[in-house]
Amino acid sequence: MLQCSEHRAYIPFNRDSGDFPSPAFCPTEGSREKMSMTSLKSMLAQAAVRGVTEARAAIFGHVLNPTGQRSAHKILRKKFIGEKVASWYPNDIQKEDPLVVARKEQDRLSKLEMLKRRGKGAPKKGHGKRAAKRNK
Amino acid sequence: MGLNMSDNRNLQDQKRRLLAEKFELRRKLYKAFAKDTDLPNDVREKFRGKLADLPRNSSFTRVMNRCVFTGRARSVYQMFRVSRIVFRDLASGGLLHGVKKSSW
Repeated sequence: MLQCSEHRAYIPFNRDSGDFPSPAFCPTEGSREKMSMTSLKSMLAQAAVRGVTEARAAIFGHVLNPTGQRSAHKILRKKFIGEKVASWYPNDIQKEDPLVVARKEQDRLSKLEMLKRRGKGAPKKGHGKRAAKRNK
Repeated sequence: MGLNMSDNRNLQDQKRRLLAEKFELRRKLYKAFAKDTDLPNDVREKFRGKLADLPRNSSFTRVMNRCVFTGRARSVYQMFRVSRIVFRDLASGGLLHGVKKSSW
């Protein structure tokens, strides 16, 4: 049983059977005028709310979408993350020090030289194990 | 951080990150145009094509948060940018400020 807050009348309303109470259920006199009054009131209220939202959007530059259609604004309003993403790995300061870089390069070259002296350096292109297998 | 295998992966990832940052604005723009329902369909198609022509490595989804120390791709915490193993080592050594073993 619902109670109509306006007219303090009980509306017979069975929730289980899927009824929906209509304003016509208000069993008071002049109920038809009252019904148009309530819908008029709600229409006015809706218009007022709509006016307020539109004014707010005009002032603050919001993008309105009252019908809720698909809009590209959803993609465009997200902030950029590129800078944050690109700065994940910290800068290796050893790379900037020319002395350290030179020393490392020297180490690499001397190691290569040592291997070559022993005969263990990298083979020429087209002479490796795989290439030999392929050519055979 | 030396010359290991893991560095190759990190280098590739860094390359992707830079590309993603470079193409970000363009990507967003193309995507937005392609999805705008107010535009005519052939214009949308054109922008979809443009979006597909962008290099694949410029997509944010291809970027992987790797551990900064070891290059591990899994179990990497965004707050510290390290994997769970390195995190444990650092935290136990007291090198992470304000991190202590929890017990309550």
